[in-house]
Amino acid sequence: MSGSNSTFAADQTASRTVSRSHHRATARRLLLAYALVAPVVLWRLATSVYPFGYTAYLSFFDHNPMRRSHEYIGLDNYRTMINDPDVRNTITFTIFFTVVSVTLQVVLGLGIAQLLNQQFSLRGFVRAVNLLPWAMSAIVIGTAANWIFNYDYGLINDLIWRVSGFRPLWLTDVTNARFAVALTDVWKNTPLLAIIFLGGLQGIPAELSHAAKIDGAGRFRAFLSITIPQLMPLIISMAIFTAVYRVLTFDIVYALTAGGPGTATSLMSYLIYLQAFRVLNFGYASALAMGLFGMVLVVGVVGFMLLRRSWAKLD
Amino acid sequence: MTIPKAAALRRVSLVSSSVLFYAVITLFLVSILLPLYYTFMAAFTSGKQVYSKPLDYVPQSLGLERWKTIFDELPIWRYLLNTFLISSVSTVISLLICFMAAYSIARLRFPGANVVLIGLLISSMLPWVSSVVPLFEMYQDLHLLNTFQGLLVLYVSALLPFTTWLLVSFIKQLPVEIEEAARVDGANFVSLLWQIVLPMIFPAMATLFVINFIVNWNEFFTPLIFARGEGTKVITMALFDAQSIGGASQYYQNWGTMSAVAIVATIPIFAITLIFQRRITEGITAGAVK
Repeated sequence: MSGSNSTFAADQTASRTVSRSHHRATARRLLLAYALVAPVVLWRLATSVYPFGYTAYLSFFDHNPMRRSHEYIGLDNYRTMINDPDVRNTITFTIFFTVVSVTLQVVLGLGIAQLLNQQFSLRGFVRAVNLLPWAMSAIVIGTAANWIFNYDYGLINDLIWRVSGFRPLWLTDVTNARFAVALTDVWKNTPLLAIIFLGGLQGIPAELSHAAKIDGAGRFRAFLSITIPQLMPLIISMAIFTAVYRVLTFDIVYALTAGGPGTATSLMSYLIYLQAFRVLNFGYASALAMGLFGMVLVVGVVGFMLLRRSWAKLD
Repeated sequence: MTIPKAAALRRVSLVSSSVLFYAVITLFLVSILLPLYYTFMAAFTSGKQVYSKPLDYVPQSLGLERWKTIFDELPIWRYLLNTFLISSVSTVISLLICFMAAYSIARLRFPGANVVLIGLLISSMLPWVSSVVPLFEMYQDLHLLNTFQGLLVLYVSALLPFTTWLLVSFIKQLPVEIEEAARVDGANFVSLLWQIVLPMIFPAMATLFVINFIVNWNEFFTPLIFARGEGTKVITMALFDAQSIGGASQYYQNWGTMSAVAIVATIPIFAITLIFQRRITEGITAGAVK
């Protein structure tokens, strides 16, 4: 940093004297600017951009460290991917999981935000409790959920049994296992959306809701016709953000179902993990990784188009 | 006649709506706290208590035997220290270099500043799983697997895009006049950064520290791939060590030890969350709006 000490002295003299030294000062200023940005940029290039590019390259190879193979095979990995039943199951569950989880999170998140925005005693306590699932590690939650959905001794089946005298299968039934993963994810992530929507609610001008009360609009009507449209851009951008992270989910599936029964609750990250680090098919895992990026891209682009439309509506 | 009737009706609807309100609040609290209580109970009950059917919600006998088991069988303190060191050091490093980059982007107006910002955003959209295979091979060649340095590099990397974005927007909100006045007073660049700018955005930096620390503490995927060895093992990985204590045949008993490890991994985070509740809430809200 010793060079930067003189930069400012040079900077100040430059403004008073001839333009040649002024040029030198701007050059040094530029150098300083790039030097300050360099660590972050180089760090990301080395650990994210470069390896991502290399994954794209590897996806055209039969690359397996066990068999010590590294052979160019063109699009073969992608052909395998299209015909792989595991991939088909994974995509099915990804769509199910993303739609169910995001919908529940947004709806419940809005509801909880509305609750936390009321005046009542113990509000501070309830807001603190709301933060707990956000703070917990997803892997811890997934592990606990594995037991909570246990057929004989799980909390969920105990409660259902007390009400109905009946114990459903959870983790061994295809549909119920899918709901179990989605519900666990909703439990962990809805609080985050609730906090963000609460921030949004607090940003709505008070005159708007007052005007609605004078108009005699019921609470629920006011919520639908004033609050929701005001929050719409925030709701949509959070839905996109949440959807992208659902597509990328790994921890909960790893701990709760290990993708089972069969591959009914497998997600792309989990499939890539299995192919790369259990079977050591680095080439095929790389092709799957590109497929995952494609899915994220689709969600992002569609979401962005929706967001632009909602901005246009608000204006 | 009609007026008092209406008032009475309104009072009834007010009372019933507040009953409904508290019922919903209670439902919300129970749905968060009951699973936590259930997990907690599993770690503290002794013997076969956990597997009663139907469940005993008030445990008959409390015991610390599961705690004794995990602390005897696993180097829990070592894992906690590892987790703390990796989480805090990587958070500090990322904050420092993001602060430098953010100041440069927000104030020094160099050509390409926007390219850097957009590039960071794009790089944050590249799935982490999609970069892992080449990184793994790279780490193997450089002997960085199961090392603190290796893990630190990856933990820092994950934090860089969002932290830089947030700090840029915070620095842009500061009044430029203060920095200009300091420059006129002859402050050099280093003291300008350290003594003028840093104190002004210190609250934002502290909030980011708390949030990023929690995120790092909970990280699982990165250590699963890059640090499976004993020396660098973090607490989230230790969950699955607790599973195999006493052999896999005693699956049901292991649930108790896993719960104990789950609680060890969670208590420090709960403490931090409750202490910095307000700060965290503000940080998350600010992050979403920007």
